[in-house]
Amino acid sequence: MTARLSAPILTITGVTAVHGRGARARAVLAPTSLDVRPGESVAVVGRSGAGKSTLADITLGLRTPSEGRVLVGGTEWCTPSAGPPRGERRLVQGVPQDPSAAFVPRWTLGRSIDQAVRRLTGERDVGSRVRRAAELARLDLQLLDRRPSEVSGGQAQRAAIVRAVAPGPVVLVADEPTSALDADTARAVSAALLSITQELGIALLLVTHDPTVAEHCTRTLTITAP
Amino acid sequence: MRHSNVLGIVSRLVSGVALLLVAGALPWLSQRDPAASVLRARYAELEPTPEALAAIRTELGLDGGPVVTSIRWWSGVLRGDLGTSWVSGGDIGPGVWNALGVSMTLTLFAAAVALAIAAAIVTPAAFRVLRDRPQRGSGPVGVALTALPEFLLASALLVVVAVQLQWLPPYGWSGLHTAILPALALGIPAGGLLGRLLADAVAGVTEERWVTVWLLAGAPRAVILTGVLRRAAAAVVDQLGLVLIGVLGGAVAVEQVFAIPGLGRYLLGAANAQDLPALQAGVLLMALAAVLVGALAGLARRALRGGPLPPGTLPPPAERRGDDRAARRTVAVALGLLLLILALGLPRDPYAITHERLAPPSLALPFGADASGRDLLARVAHGTLGTLLPSVGIVLLAIVVALLLAVLGEIARGPAEIANATPPILAGVIIAALLGPSVGGAALAVLWVTWPPLTAHAAALIDEANAMPHVRWLPVAGISRLEIWARHVLPATVGPLLRHGMLRLPGVALALAALGFLGLGAQPPLPEWGLLLGEGIDYVERAPWTTLAPAVALVLTSVCAVAVAGLRNNRTTGSATGPRTRTGRGGEPVRNREAAQRTET
Repeated sequence: MTARLSAPILTITGVTAVHGRGARARAVLAPTSLDVRPGESVAVVGRSGAGKSTLADITLGLRTPSEGRVLVGGTEWCTPSAGPPRGERRLVQGVPQDPSAAFVPRWTLGRSIDQAVRRLTGERDVGSRVRRAAELARLDLQLLDRRPSEVSGGQAQRAAIVRAVAPGPVVLVADEPTSALDADTARAVSAALLSITQELGIALLLVTHDPTVAEHCTRTLTITAP
Repeated sequence: MRHSNVLGIVSRLVSGVALLLVAGALPWLSQRDPAASVLRARYAELEPTPEALAAIRTELGLDGGPVVTSIRWWSGVLRGDLGTSWVSGGDIGPGVWNALGVSMTLTLFAAAVALAIAAAIVTPAAFRVLRDRPQRGSGPVGVALTALPEFLLASALLVVVAVQLQWLPPYGWSGLHTAILPALALGIPAGGLLGRLLADAVAGVTEERWVTVWLLAGAPRAVILTGVLRRAAAAVVDQLGLVLIGVLGGAVAVEQVFAIPGLGRYLLGAANAQDLPALQAGVLLMALAAVLVGALAGLARRALRGGPLPPGTLPPPAERRGDDRAARRTVAVALGLLLLILALGLPRDPYAITHERLAPPSLALPFGADASGRDLLARVAHGTLGTLLPSVGIVLLAIVVALLLAVLGEIARGPAEIANATPPILAGVIIAALLGPSVGGAALAVLWVTWPPLTAHAAALIDEANAMPHVRWLPVAGISRLEIWARHVLPATVGPLLRHGMLRLPGVALALAALGFLGLGAQPPLPEWGLLLGEGIDYVERAPWTTLAPAVALVLTSVCAVAVAGLRNNRTTGSATGPRTRTGRGGEPVRNREAAQRTET
């Protein structure tokens, strides 16, 4: 309950996005503002084309907004002119829609995870971080020796959660993390995601189409197409 | 989008201006001292003292540096003055205009031959549409006709028709009967290529649904046939420019073989004599002819499509898969024979003059001996290395250039268009005139025409790699842009580029041989296929085997080139358009994501 009283860790102010330039430009995200506190989870819902994935990409720092800005922990994370500061990338991590996006296809899951955690934290020995995250995500450690194509969708998505959580982020962005999974697996993965972020006090931005998943979040943000 | 358009236009403008400047400054750019060569040509008895050279430099107007030289030349051209020849000291204008007239006439004859041949290739394919038979594409006839480069075909016609059968005169330009052989040599490859493209397009068009609908609706045959042909022609008209550029380049070789006083021979003569003002005038007229021909092609496109369409509006007809197995077998047989020549000939000495001059083929000398008494088998085998090794180097360099330029994107647009419009022989003529004939110069000329297609492919591959989900997400894992580029994007592009480059190898080897044949590449006594053929052609009446041996090697390479091009068509159209191969390589998840994205947006 202390989480509700603390200052917001993620602040999005008047963020918009435009696709293309000049005459062909079209708005893909209407002005959006949002505060998320540590441990809070916000479900982002809206119809196809509303700009949910665009909001997720901007928060992750994969693209810059056209207007507005994003603050993480009170400092500037992403503005129209600048992407995330180098050396701070660890702060915002994500779980992609398609788990294979989190992993280099020709590498084992473990290698992708180790490499990412090492880069993001600057630590040499990352074994304990990875083991702890795998425990939280209920991922069998032996699966880390396999390649992304050699595990099931649910296992790959759990591994993607491990990759996202192990570096110790303060904000987690999940863009429809269960859309490629069957109903049972999807429910289990969503539950794992929600409980881990709550337990670690991570702010969660969860893009979803599933009303029951949205119900389990602290709040719901509905965005509409511009 | 608009940003990159502006870049493209700026790039074109800058390269256009640079091209004009360079064209005007050619005499100044010459690496070998032009004053010395003029002195040699005009006053053979005079000693090349520094004073005499300086006087000649001032007389030639080379004392002002490249820009002044260029502006002086262009202002002359605008006044209708094409300059004075360094060699004869006379006006260039009349001679070069005459040469252009001869070349234009020859090109018209060649175009007639090409159209007749293209029509002959397309007709069976078109009629198969009406009988609702499965389409087979162009078939072996088209392949065989496109296989021979012009300089080889011209030599073959000269040997067989003019020398052996004596049906037509072997050289000269004095009436219709002297135009037949050169027109055939130029028109057959062009017509074969055109017919092949058209037949393949017809085969693809037949797959389109409207043909079935029209057939079911009982439309008259003539109406369907017209519709199919028009649709196929509209798809092919863009390639017309390429065919015509091929004819322009081929004309140089053909005019040389048949001693026709056309523009190509004029250029070659100017290059050999270091007469750079004459070369400039010839290049200018050839460029004007190319622009004219391009405008005509544009009119044809407008007529066929009813106005300019933005690219991509008219989908290209579905690519027909030819008989891959036959193509593969052809390549295997041709390569096997080349390897056999290589294995038998490499241990022999290509330089030793140990045999009787022009000795006929025998068991000891399977290919006979050349005019100096050297073993032709050894020379052809060593020529394989002399031709193929530089070709491999050219291809590898072109890949490096392609990767560098693909990163620059639109900035490379201008140079790429100029390079695409240059026939390799013309590039070879200019470079030989500037640097003197050498293997390196010829390689440079061939490199100049090899990089654009590889650059386009590299750009497509890089886009494809950047769009892969895991590459898009790597920044989240804290990986820098440079490292993403070096460890994830580059490795994904090098493999396909190498394969593409190797498929271009036979074509590159042939272009190199064509330059060697014209005396613009390798110099004697180096064994190189083109040069060997050029040497042999002088003795063709007494000893036809001197041309036969290198011709066999060149024909085998040509067959490889065309068969391999057929294979490539089937493969790279998929990878160039992107998503299709991405699903193939990335497997199921990728396709899932794409489907998801489609529903999302």
